[in-house]
Amino acid sequence: MTTLHFTEEQRDCLQELVNVAMGQASDKLARYLETMVHLQVPAIKLVDTQQLPEHFAKRYQQQSVSLISLGFFGDQGLRGETIMLYQLANVGVLAKLLGYSDDDSSEDEMLTDISSVLTTTFLNGLAEQLDNSFSYAAPRILSSRDEHFADKLAATAQQWQLALQVDIRYQLTDYSFHCDMILLIPGEAVLRLRQMLDQILADF
Amino acid sequence: MPLAGLLQPLLSQLNSGVVLLDAELKLVFINQFIARRADLQPEDVKGKSLFEVFSDLPQAWLQRKLHGVLSLQVPAFSSWEQRQYIFKLPHLRPLSSDSAYMAQNCSMLPLTAADTGERYICILVEDATDAYVYQQQLQHSVARLQLANRTDGLTGVFNRSYWQQQLGYEIQRAERYQHPLSLLLFDLDKFKQLNDHYGHLGGDAVLIEVARLVAALLRDTDLLGRYGGEEFGIILPETDLTGAMQVAQRLCSAVAAHRVAFEQQQLLATISLGVTGFTSGLSSDQLIQQADEALYSAKRQGRNQAVAWRDSQSVYLKKVK
Repeated sequence: MTTLHFTEEQRDCLQELVNVAMGQASDKLARYLETMVHLQVPAIKLVDTQQLPEHFAKRYQQQSVSLISLGFFGDQGLRGETIMLYQLANVGVLAKLLGYSDDDSSEDEMLTDISSVLTTTFLNGLAEQLDNSFSYAAPRILSSRDEHFADKLAATAQQWQLALQVDIRYQLTDYSFHCDMILLIPGEAVLRLRQMLDQILADF
Repeated sequence: MPLAGLLQPLLSQLNSGVVLLDAELKLVFINQFIARRADLQPEDVKGKSLFEVFSDLPQAWLQRKLHGVLSLQVPAFSSWEQRQYIFKLPHLRPLSSDSAYMAQNCSMLPLTAADTGERYICILVEDATDAYVYQQQLQHSVARLQLANRTDGLTGVFNRSYWQQQLGYEIQRAERYQHPLSLLLFDLDKFKQLNDHYGHLGGDAVLIEVARLVAALLRDTDLLGRYGGEEFGIILPETDLTGAMQVAQRLCSAVAAHRVAFEQQQLLATISLGVTGFTSGLSSDQLIQQADEALYSAKRQGRNQAVAWRDSQSVYLKKVK
């Protein structure tokens, strides 16, 4: 099996691209949401997809978690899936964040809306950094307020070889909002990604 | 380039809706899919506001979403699973009561004109009515199965396993909130004779009729289940022993006064009832045991009556047994 590991240089390069993309996303979101958005610059972690479910099961012990997935396809064989994990005490935070007044939107709809806004804004920036562009599949709810979310995460993660774990903390003026994002990339796309990173490194 | 000349025919043949908007949310183009279903002429709506032409759109929500598409330049989506439709359009499937309008998956995509650099939004509308209808049917089937799974086939009251499960929940609730709870068990008197005399169909008719009669006399929160052959149980939440005895006596006289019609005959049936009140620390098995002992006393004392469980009863019963 081809090793999917990144060299230290490749990893640092990817971290830098993620930082830039996050910075851009944070700026755009602040303007869109009309509130200060402070995006903590995430430390990315490349992890074996098989360890993911256990990791998150531990982090959110006995809590109900909602999982929203969004698939993306880029040029040159770059593709993958993002998964957002939320544990929300009350859904009002989300409604406020999205500017929904007493609307008839369901919790699931608000979760898919916020997920697609957060992930596509970030991914568009990442694609730009990679001189690529992504198209997106509609977001899917993998698990809705479920304590057994780890099983569902395992079922999804199984088909991917590499996971890029990005912990995003969105800090807003009036309330704090926290969620996790996982970027899952299949083996052959990992190889493509490495080539792209090497290309960027060579251009410097 | 032949592609330019093919784009219009392609858009009009496309089996998805295409709605093109400018940055002011005015209609630039709608394809045949939308025009025919909404009974509009594409030329007539050009330049008009989206919300003026389609007046029943969820305006506040959609505006917010389209604003996001424009300002963030990212796509937005809407799934029939969360919102059945955005555009109120007819569909071509047979009508069923809950799917009068086309279920839709919609994508709202940011577009930039190659020549002018102006910003537009394309709303793609896909018909998801089939998936919606199958999902509804599936939900109905699941609901029917869940109902069948807790119902006694003959009498239509709860079956034993579901009833006992509920008893467990009610005991937990009574224990936690220190609320009263009573249990009532009743049994048809001389049911074997009834079966021998009128056959099993006669016996069944009596079981069905008595269950129906008793159910009609209970409150919505009381839980009636068939415990065994001709034995039934009633869980009475928020009811103390005195209240439960009143219920028991009412049921006893109602059944005795009732005539069950069976093959041009009027069958008479009576029931004996055992009643007990929950006290802290009792398990559901112990509670059932107490009601059963009281029921046994009612039988011994001549049937067609209700007896409340007393602590001394079990001692007494052990002696006579």
